[in-house]
Order: sequence, then structure tokens, then C-alpha cells
Amino acid sequence: MMSDHDSPYTWSNAGFRRSVTWLAVVFVACVLVGFVWLPMAQPDFSARGLWASICKAAGVPGNWGDPGEALRTGGQSTKVVLDRPMARAGAADAIGRGATLALNCTMCHGAQGMSLADAPNLSGQYPEVVVKQLLDYRDGRRTSSIMQAIARGLSDAQIDDLAAYYASLPKARIAPTTYEDPLPKLVRTGDPLRNIAPCISCHGSVDQKLGAPWLEGMPRRYLIAQLNDFASGTRRNDSLAQMRNMVRLMKPEEIAEVAGFYARRGSPGEGH
Amino acid sequence: MSSASRRLVLAHFWVAFVAFVLALVLGEWQMFVRSPLAQWVNNPEHYYRSVTAHGTVMAYVLPTLVAMGFGYAICELALKQALIGLRWAWLGFWLVIVGTVMAAATVAIGHASVLYTFYPPMIASPFYYFGVVLVVVGSWIWVALMAINLRAWKRANPGATVPLAMYGNVAGAYLWAWTSLGAAIEVLVLILPASLGLTDTINAGLARVFFSWTLHAIVYFWLMPAYIAFYTIVPRAIGSRLYSDTMGRVAFALFLVFSMPIGIHHLFADPQVGAGFKFVHAAMTALVSVPTFLTVFTIVASVEIVARLRGGKGAVGWVRALPWDNPMMLTLAFSFILLGFGGAGGLINMSYQLDETVHNTQWITGHFHLIFGGAIVIMYIALAYDLWPELTGGGPLHAGLMKLQLWLWFVGMLVLTLPWHLVGLLGMPRRMAYYDYTDPAIAPQAWTVIASTIGGAMLVVSGVLFLVVLARGHARAPGAAGARPYTFSRPVHEGLRPPAVLNGHGLWVAMMIALTVVNYGWPIAQLAALKTASVPVIPIGTR
Repeated sequence: MMSDHDSPYTWSNAGFRRSVTWLAVVFVACVLVGFVWLPMAQPDFSARGLWASICKAAGVPGNWGDPGEALRTGGQSTKVVLDRPMARAGAADAIGRGATLALNCTMCHGAQGMSLADAPNLSGQYPEVVVKQLLDYRDGRRTSSIMQAIARGLSDAQIDDLAAYYASLPKARIAPTTYEDPLPKLVRTGDPLRNIAPCISCHGSVDQKLGAPWLEGMPRRYLIAQLNDFASGTRRNDSLAQMRNMVRLMKPEEIAEVAGFYARRGSPGEGH
Repeated sequence: MSSASRRLVLAHFWVAFVAFVLALVLGEWQMFVRSPLAQWVNNPEHYYRSVTAHGTVMAYVLPTLVAMGFGYAICELALKQALIGLRWAWLGFWLVIVGTVMAAATVAIGHASVLYTFYPPMIASPFYYFGVVLVVVGSWIWVALMAINLRAWKRANPGATVPLAMYGNVAGAYLWAWTSLGAAIEVLVLILPASLGLTDTINAGLARVFFSWTLHAIVYFWLMPAYIAFYTIVPRAIGSRLYSDTMGRVAFALFLVFSMPIGIHHLFADPQVGAGFKFVHAAMTALVSVPTFLTVFTIVASVEIVARLRGGKGAVGWVRALPWDNPMMLTLAFSFILLGFGGAGGLINMSYQLDETVHNTQWITGHFHLIFGGAIVIMYIALAYDLWPELTGGGPLHAGLMKLQLWLWFVGMLVLTLPWHLVGLLGMPRRMAYYDYTDPAIAPQAWTVIASTIGGAMLVVSGVLFLVVLARGHARAPGAAGARPYTFSRPVHEGLRPPAVLNGHGLWVAMMIALTVVNYGWPIAQLAALKTASVPVIPIGTR
């Protein structure tokens, strides 16, 4: 006599007994295959023995492999969290105070924020970009013997004032694109199969993302140096590694091409 | 049904289907602007706004309202007792409406282009998340009402067999209650504090794991009304009988157990989750095909009965004798074909290794449009057609228009999704706002985007036609209906009692929770304890 119609939640009920037993068997079989059998087929999994390979399959390896010099010593890439209010235009008094402070910056960044010394142009730069970079210099998250020393002397309010001032200056003129100088492929469409996003999806033209700098007219040598530093991990203050992940797969000639393109897009004034 | 319950169900269905057609238009706009037929809109933000609205309506608003409305209807029609908690049901309905409006408005002004899967560390305005939470809380009221109504019926009918429609309905409600918990925890514990500015970092890996808790079983919550219709409406509508009532119960019980603890197959490319758990989830995903195949077998056997009675002969020759002029027969065939294509593609996605080749490509978009937009939504349409005379008191709907609408939906969905599968294999990424067809590497794929745009246009026409059929039926003077009471399918062998475990949900709910604990417990605990997992948030709609 089948005992299917007994109270359903007792071991004597056949349906209950079979269901629970089969579920347990299926689960144990899955776990054995996933945590023991399959890892044993992988040399890098099983090199340190069964328990280590089980831990690895569970997502907690004893170590995560050699993280590389930059990751070992670098710590967190940035402490700056980009927030909406940082992108607002500054008040007139903040711009005035910033203009006074900016007199310290003219030697490299130019009297009007247009550099003659292969330092980045700051004229018309978005305020949150200037704030983020100065805070990163001050924390030591971005390195430069000159800029770190200068940034250490600045208060939060002074940094905001500087950003307000530079944002108030006109941007370098965009030279019109000509048939002789079309947008490079990486600038326009990126390379989806290498997971390289187009430059213009963050740096203006299609979209302007918070914290992504205005690049048109930047000195070519500065851009190449920064891209190379991102590629090697020397510069790592890009939150979530957006730039490092973009540049790492770019070839040297591609870096030169996009840097040259953005450098050409500036005003020919100020000695260029 | 009482007229008060009719109003309740009609309110759910009308809002669901009007929102559905609006979201259809958005989807087609997306297809059009990224096809070579249109000039690019020049602002990807507008595109992602549209994607977010399309996904939020299609994934949360439409299926939730259909499941709720259908559930209330089943309560009265299958249990043959007045719906308990009518005022609570209206409260749930209005919560869903207010939540939808709140989320939609936030998306429309560009403060929530995070797509319906939220994607931390992207953070939207808190009003978007509050809106989604209200939709879910409204649906939890429905879950409670389903349980209360079944309990009252059991008390009034001790020892009786729960009607199959109600059994599946309550299984769907319990599945939803448990699976929505993952996204609810993600939103309340991780996302809202960041969205409200209380923290400026978020544990994105943990958030993704919590979302995967919801993300897969939500598909089975969408699927439940369609499966209830397969078992309890289709055989009756084509003049046949259900081959096995018990098999229906087994399918619903297996969905409860196995659809829930398998969501990590959405995280195969996520380095923070261990490979062992990915395998376990992949293996259990394969087990979900069991209730699917059981259902296909049972329903095909059920329709074979009527084909044989109509003189069908031979091993496959009986297929010709099926009542093909019946809209429900047509819908069932369409639904199974779309389910077959979608399911075959799904076997690729759920395999840990094969998934690598299609991960994040248009293949995935094609897969879930076939399963949800195809197999499931066409059954929503069919069950609305079937219930409409009962709900509105009007006569039968216009059969010609119904068949035209169903054909358009079926062909349109195939024309939309098959090109996506093809280009997905070629590597076309999903969630792209535009393609540059002047690029020689992309130019050969341009025609596929035009094809999908044409398929999408067919779906829009079909959606509008759907509303026209429903509106015509509703506008007809009440009282035109025949006095025939609404019934569900009768099984071939009536009066057989299913095993006791298949007359209740307790064992299956317990198994579902137990499997969730063992399959999700460790990944969640490990990621929650990982201090370095927090990353800075990225506010959306900033500039």
C-alpha cells in the first residue's frame, strides 16, 4: 500500500522521503563535481593539494597570485568620490580668489591657463577635474615631485577656488575637423572586441562624464606620457581603473595617434 | 466572478497592457535609432534612459500586474469563493501604480539611467529605487492574499484537492516572495544608503550577487502565469482534456525548488565568485529543463487527444487534425516554438564554458526576448483573450483580429531575435547605444539591425492591435455574453488524488529555502566580509 496520502511532512510519506533524498543526492553530487573533480583537472588549481583547491573553488584562494609592483605598494587608487555639486560653476568671489592663487601656477600652466611647457592646459577645464587631481596629488595618489609639493600647501577651499577660476576661463578653440584629419577609429568608435571604449564617449563630443577632463589642445607629449603611465600602472588615480583598462591594450602607435589628434584640436595660439 | 473582483482584475490588466505597449514603442525606437535607417541621436544618455524605462516596465510592471490580476481571477474562478481582502488588493494595486509613476518620472528626467538591473556602482536618484520598492511591496500584498485565500478554502474544504490553477498560482506567489528578497536586500541595504548620500562607496560584487538571487527566479515568476495557462486553459479552450493533472503539480513544485538557487549563472564572468559555486549553479540550471520538458510532453499529449478525436492518424500525422483555426491552439504552437528556440539558446548561456563565447553579446538579448517576450508574453496575451469575456461581460472577441495579432507577434519576434543571435555569435556587444556602420568591420552586420528594426515594428503593430481587440471587447454592451460559466481544463482521469506532498507547498518552499542557503550562503558571507570589495559610487545624471 502506497503511503503517499499520509501526512506529507513525515519520513514515512514516500513522496516526502524520495524528494528529500533525491535533492540531497543531486546537491552532494554537484558539489563533489564542482569543488573536487573539476578542480583536480586543472594543474593551477590542484598544485597545492585538495583543501587549497576546494578553497579556490569557493572563491577564497590562499593568495590571489602576484599582484604586481604597483598593486602591492600602491594601496587604494583614489579617495576622491566624484559628486554632482563638484561640477557646478563657482561664484564670482571664488573665481577672484582662485585667480590670485593661480598666479603661482603660471610658470608651467601659462598666464591664461594655456601651457607652453608641456604641462596640461587648465583653461576651461571642468572644475571637478581640477579638484580631483589636486586632492589626489595632496594625498599622494598621483605622483609628481612638483605638483605634490604644491598641493600639500593647499586647503580644500583653496582647491575649490582654483578649480572655479580655471573653469571660468575660455576653453581652447576646437579646430574644425577636416577631411585630411578625420577622427581616429579609437577616438570615434573605440574597439569593442578589445573592450576599448571610444574616447568621445567620456571626454566630450558624444558624452562628457563627470571627472573626465577636457582634452582638446592638450600638449601632445603630456598626453602620451599620461597614457603610458596609465598603461604601465605608474599612474593609478583613475577610480575603478577606467583609464588603465582602456590603455593597457592600446599599441604605442595608437597612443601616439590619439594623443596627436587631441593635441592638434587646440588653438594654434600661444606658440603652438 | 463578482463585479467587484472583475473591476479589480480589469484594472490590473489594463494598466499592465497599456504600459506594455508604451514600452514596446520605446524598444522599437531603440532599435530604430541604432540602425542604419536613422541619424544617430547624438546623445547616448537618451538611449539608456529609454533602455531603463523599457526594461523596468517589461520586467517589473507588466509581469507583476498580470500575475496579480490573473491570481485574483484564479482565486474566485478556481476556488469558487469570494476574494478575501479586496480592499488590500486595491491597496497593492495603487502601490504598484504609484511606484511605477515615481520610477518612470525619475527615468524620464534622466536621473536613473542605470538599466533595470541597477548595475552598481552606478547610482541613480533615490526616487527610482523607492518606486521599484513600492512596486515590489504592492506585489507582496498579493502574495499574502493568495496564501490567505488558499488557507480559507482549505479550511472550508478539509482534505479536498487544491485546484491545479490555484496550486500553480500560489507556487508562483511563494516563488516571487522569496526571490524578490534578494533585490530588496540589495536596494535597501546597499544601494539606497549610497543613493541617499550616506556612504560614497558600495560593495558592487555583493550587490551583483544579491541581484542574481532575484534575476533568475524572476523569470520563472514571469513564466508561472504562462504555465498555468498551458495546463489549465489551453486544453479546455481547444476542446480537449489535460493529460495529467499531477504532472502539472510536479512541474510547479520543481520550478519552486530549482529556479531559485541558480542565479550565479548570471555571474560567470564575475571574478569575485568562486568557480565551484558557478558550477553548482550551472548544474542546477540544467535541472530547470526537467519541469519544462515535462510540461511540453504533457501539453503535447493533451492536444493530441483532441486531434485523435477529430480523426488525426499516424505518429505525427495527427498534428494536421489539430483545431488550427482556434486562436488558443495557434498561441500554444507559437509559444512552444519560441520556447524551443529560446531554450536551445539558453542551454548555451547556462554552460559555464560555452557562455564565454556569447557573454555580453546580442545573443543574450535575443535569448531573453525569445523566452520572455516570445513564449511568455504571447501566453499573457492569450490568457487575457480567454478571460476577457468573463471579465467584461462582453461576447467572444474578434477571432480574425486575434489571429492576425498573434501571427504578427510570432513572426515579429523571430525577425527581431534571430538576427541578434547571429550577430551575437559574431561578437556584437549588447547595451550599445550606437554602431558606426562606416567601419568596415561592422558594415557587413548592418542589415541585421535593419531586420531587427522591421521585426520590432511588427511587434508594435501587434501590440496596438492587441489593445484594439481588448477595447472592442470591453466596449461591447454588458450582458451580450452567454451565460456559460468560466471553467478550467478537466483532466483525463477526473477525481484522482495527487500524492499529499503535491497538494501543499510546504515541502517545496522548505527545499527552495534550504537550497538557497547552501548555494548562496557562502558567496554572500564571503563577499560581505571582504573589506576591499567596496568601490566608489558613480552617480548618474550628473551633468
